[in-house]
Amino acid sequence: MTMEDLRFPNWITLAMGVTLVAMPWILPSLTLASEILVLATGALSCTLLLGSVGLLSFGQGLYFGLGAYVSAILIRDFAVGAMAATLAASVAGCLVAALAGLLIVRRQGVYFVMLTLAFAQMGFFLALAFPKLTGGENGFGNVTRTTVAFEQLPLSNPLLLYGFLALLCFGAFAFVQRIIASPFGSVLNAIRHNDSRAEALGYDVRRFKLAAITIAGGIAALSGAMNTLLLSFVPLSAIDVESSERLLIASLIGGVGSPLGAFIGAAVLSAMSDFLSPIWPRWSTIVAVLLIVTVLFLRDGLLGLGRILRRRPKDALNG
Amino acid sequence: MSAQVLTFGALNGVGIGMIYFILSVGLTMIFGLMQFVNFAHGAFYMVSAYAAFAVAQWTGSVLPALLISPLLAAIFALVSERVLLQRTYNLPHESQILITFALAILAQESMTMIFGTLGKNVPVPEVFSGVVILGGFVYPSYRLFVVGVAAAVAVSMWVAIERTRFGAVVRAAAENPEMVGLLGFDSRKVFMAAFAFGGALAGLAGALAAPLRGVEPLMGREALAIAFVVVILGGLGSFSGALLAALLIGITQSLMSMIWPGGAHLMIYGVMTVILAFRPAGLMGRA
Repeated sequence: MTMEDLRFPNWITLAMGVTLVAMPWILPSLTLASEILVLATGALSCTLLLGSVGLLSFGQGLYFGLGAYVSAILIRDFAVGAMAATLAASVAGCLVAALAGLLIVRRQGVYFVMLTLAFAQMGFFLALAFPKLTGGENGFGNVTRTTVAFEQLPLSNPLLLYGFLALLCFGAFAFVQRIIASPFGSVLNAIRHNDSRAEALGYDVRRFKLAAITIAGGIAALSGAMNTLLLSFVPLSAIDVESSERLLIASLIGGVGSPLGAFIGAAVLSAMSDFLSPIWPRWSTIVAVLLIVTVLFLRDGLLGLGRILRRRPKDALNG
Repeated sequence: MSAQVLTFGALNGVGIGMIYFILSVGLTMIFGLMQFVNFAHGAFYMVSAYAAFAVAQWTGSVLPALLISPLLAAIFALVSERVLLQRTYNLPHESQILITFALAILAQESMTMIFGTLGKNVPVPEVFSGVVILGGFVYPSYRLFVVGVAAAVAVSMWVAIERTRFGAVVRAAAENPEMVGLLGFDSRKVFMAAFAFGGALAGLAGALAAPLRGVEPLMGREALAIAFVVVILGGLGSFSGALLAALLIGITQSLMSMIWPGGAHLMIYGVMTVILAFRPAGLMGRA
């Protein structure tokens, strides 16, 4: 975390806004740009947990999948508008994350990580066990793209859809930046550095962790709902363990030290998926190698790479 | 449901539970010894199951695979430890988790490259392809064999760790690696041995499970999650906790698959959630 991250809004907020506006014109396809928005929003939830509180979650895919299903069911079967469905999905994500979090925060360290993965797996088997609700292995289809802004803007227009997703992504980005810069964020930061010392200062560490887990669940669910709007469909893979892993890998590769890392990681991962998967279906091999390199040599991800390159020799000596 | 069907289901569950136990005990042992969290443990299991498939294709029999596959898994574990994992011993747990997770992806992708994305079937060894009649019950003899192997593994592990000189060194190296080093033992070698042994156990579980559930690239992920449930409920480093938890979820899964096949796997995690709600520290109540 740098001093930049403790101010909000800062130049990164502005740069992010400009980038989101420019993306459709820079990237080869609007679909790729929209995919990046979805993944970046989901990765933000991992960034918030790992970067701020130091909680490693292998289970954010549970909330991603939940948000995807909740929004899809509301839109298709209850004719709810896109905005309301997205909002409801986020609230559902917060609620389930709070419930699971109650059980998870009681265990620490390694157990915490294992529990996040176990709950994600439980979500997958839940979706599989109730095919009438979720479509099971066939997925949940025929989710129409509705209108937003009092039925003025149809999301069936790809550019309008991109705009709507970009707005949601930017909202989540600014929200996470705001949290990190807030007094609440400072407490989370203290917990990450030394949770027993934070406890000794009188902070209820568990409650702060639970709050962070709840917020992160809501953000992951938001990205799941965005995914539904983009695909008009919820594949079963939205809620599998691989979905959790994708969000985590995106945040790690970009660097969890700043919300910007989630965006960079998502952009790199989506671009790799787009360009490499037609050429080489086993391209995850490269991702795995990238992950090892990130953990061993680039603790701050690709964002850290930029900092290392910019660093003057004097700073390098200081660490 | 008749008592006979119920007993049959419970017996099947013991077989599944025993495989879960062998799978998880290596994970819990490596953590107990070195405080190392191995997300590649499921990959050892998967690689070994594929090896069993290859051996069965080659020799026409699965029986030799039960020896060869665990050996290959042990070699895989040993090579990973030397090349990659030993570099992470001084890093935080989170880094170890992510490195082993990446290793698991590499293993999964390699197996997919070699064997393809589709699942493969592995035949039951001919010797155990029949059934055993146990006082009115007809029981597949392979499942009985699995229970026997697992029981033998459990007993010999307990003896090896609690009653032999090697076991004493291993326990001491976990307690205080520097002191053991000063006494003239190479704690690096002890760790290597533990990794190879843990890999071999996961490998044995994979080879035993292959004829029962088939072989596919994602089986390592699924196994890892199950091993985590066992460890969450039984406690990391606890031998008896792992046995108890593994049997509990094995029997749950088996009984549920008779009542509600679609929810059999779900109930493993359902049981975990219920137990955690009432006993946050798991079954054995420590940690």
